[in-house]
Amino acid sequence: MKRLAPLLLVAAILLAWEAIARSGLWNPLIFPSLEKISRELVLFFTRPESLLEAWISLQRAFAGFALATLVGVTIGMLMGRSAWIAALLDPLFSGTYAVPKLALFPIFIFVFGIGSLSKVALVFLECLYPIVIVTSQGARGVSRVLLWSAANMGASRAAALRRVVVPAAAPFIFAGLRIALPIALIVVIITEMVSSADGLGYLVIYSLSSLRTDRMLAVVVVIAALGWLLDRALVALRDRLVYWEKLETYYL
Amino acid sequence: MRVFVSFFLVLFSITAAAQTPPTIRFGRGFAAEEQMWLMSVRKDLTPNQGKAYNLNQILFQANPERFQAYLAGELDGGTAPGLAVIFAHAQGVDMKIVASICLEAAGQGIFTTQYMVKDDGPIKSVKDLKGGTIAVVGIKTATDLWARAGLINAGLVPDKDTKVVPMGFPVIGDAVRTGKVSAGVFVEPFYSAEMAKGGLRKLFTATEVLGYDHELLDIFFSEKFLKANPGAVRAFLADYVAVTKYYLANMEQAKTDLHKAGFVRTPLPVYLKTSDWKRDPNGRVDVGSLEKLSKFMLEKLNWLEKPVNVREMVDLSYLPR
Repeated sequence: MKRLAPLLLVAAILLAWEAIARSGLWNPLIFPSLEKISRELVLFFTRPESLLEAWISLQRAFAGFALATLVGVTIGMLMGRSAWIAALLDPLFSGTYAVPKLALFPIFIFVFGIGSLSKVALVFLECLYPIVIVTSQGARGVSRVLLWSAANMGASRAAALRRVVVPAAAPFIFAGLRIALPIALIVVIITEMVSSADGLGYLVIYSLSSLRTDRMLAVVVVIAALGWLLDRALVALRDRLVYWEKLETYYL
Repeated sequence: MRVFVSFFLVLFSITAAAQTPPTIRFGRGFAAEEQMWLMSVRKDLTPNQGKAYNLNQILFQANPERFQAYLAGELDGGTAPGLAVIFAHAQGVDMKIVASICLEAAGQGIFTTQYMVKDDGPIKSVKDLKGGTIAVVGIKTATDLWARAGLINAGLVPDKDTKVVPMGFPVIGDAVRTGKVSAGVFVEPFYSAEMAKGGLRKLFTATEVLGYDHELLDIFFSEKFLKANPGAVRAFLADYVAVTKYYLANMEQAKTDLHKAGFVRTPLPVYLKTSDWKRDPNGRVDVGSLEKLSKFMLEKLNWLEKPVNVREMVDLSYLPR
């Protein structure tokens, strides 16, 4: 029953959608039936060019996300363990966190060009913030008792960082990554909608421009499914690496 | 006594409602629609306004949003590019073109959309765009159509040989100059501003690539609204034609009024100098050009899945005779 609950919720949403679509209250071009969306979904998976567009978007999202993970975890760990670096960088990150970086996209186009690089750079910037902030909180919150114990047992600073700080901050690092991953996908889609000749965002705007809401919604379903699969993959990786603190244990 | 008072109150409200002219909820855009804007700015030019109809113009930044509002029943009509109405008609949307706003045309003193490249760059002809990028203002817009027409004419395959990417008008000039894109589309007032800066050269124009003058912007209404309010639409179009004639005869004054009312943000001296699109003084629609456009969209661009009956989507009977 516990496993079925989310499926029941999805089924209820789909039923509500179909009821609206069939009610005749709204134009079917705005609320196409599930049958029409499903047909477009099947077409999407049978067209190699559609799959290529999805692959292009994923590549951009992964590239920006991977770069943000590398840089963000490093900066977050440094901010968490060094008061001087925290004092230096914290005002920068907290002061600019609320800035909608998407507004900077035209500048990114001028600096990095109209191709993939400007999109990857914006994904990197948007993902960097949650990773840095959550990682630094995790690194800062490592129990002093654990660090003293490691020092008493003769661990060097590097060994203490590797054996104590990183494992203790790992749940936080993954929390930051889990926040950043869907952001990566969202930013890629939006930037492709704004200025691109390929990718899933381009397919969304192309379908919208042709008043093909059914086709656009099929792409939205694909994006949602990709987001869900990526999140599940990240949670699986987290549970494998942070095996002493699996996510389900929080509810026990 | 109470019964009598209630009776007279109901009678009064029914009479008042019957005398109130219908309000036209009209979706407008932000470029090339001077006559429409003037209808709101210079109501003294529209004798029927307030008597036979009320006009509520609502600004939209792009066609998809305007059409979504229209489909949601929030608009009775609006302005739209001819090709956008062709798309809508292909999807079975209840929409009729009733008048023309402007045409993309060649001629002395008439503006036609320009595609430009860097003056000292390597692109000398459209064929040189192979492997490059061309900036348009939106996917499946008229600017996209002309760009693709230019590439096809030069034997290039759009998207394969040359990428077509959307970009905002204000940034296209610098994007071309800095080599971020190989070519870009320019309309007024951006065209005049960029020409004043220098460093750009014409590659082709919209009318050159299609080879004929054609409808750019039109006025549409829903068939439902037309049937329910024929008198209001006729009165509205009579005012529209009168305003169009005034605009063509008194362009400087009309542009000054529009600028003063905040409909145009370009500096007034620049705005007054810019050349205008071709406008039919009687608002007549060039149906033949729309037919050619729809054929091109179907056969060359694969933008349509089936042929569209263009004559069916145009109704000029509401225009003054």
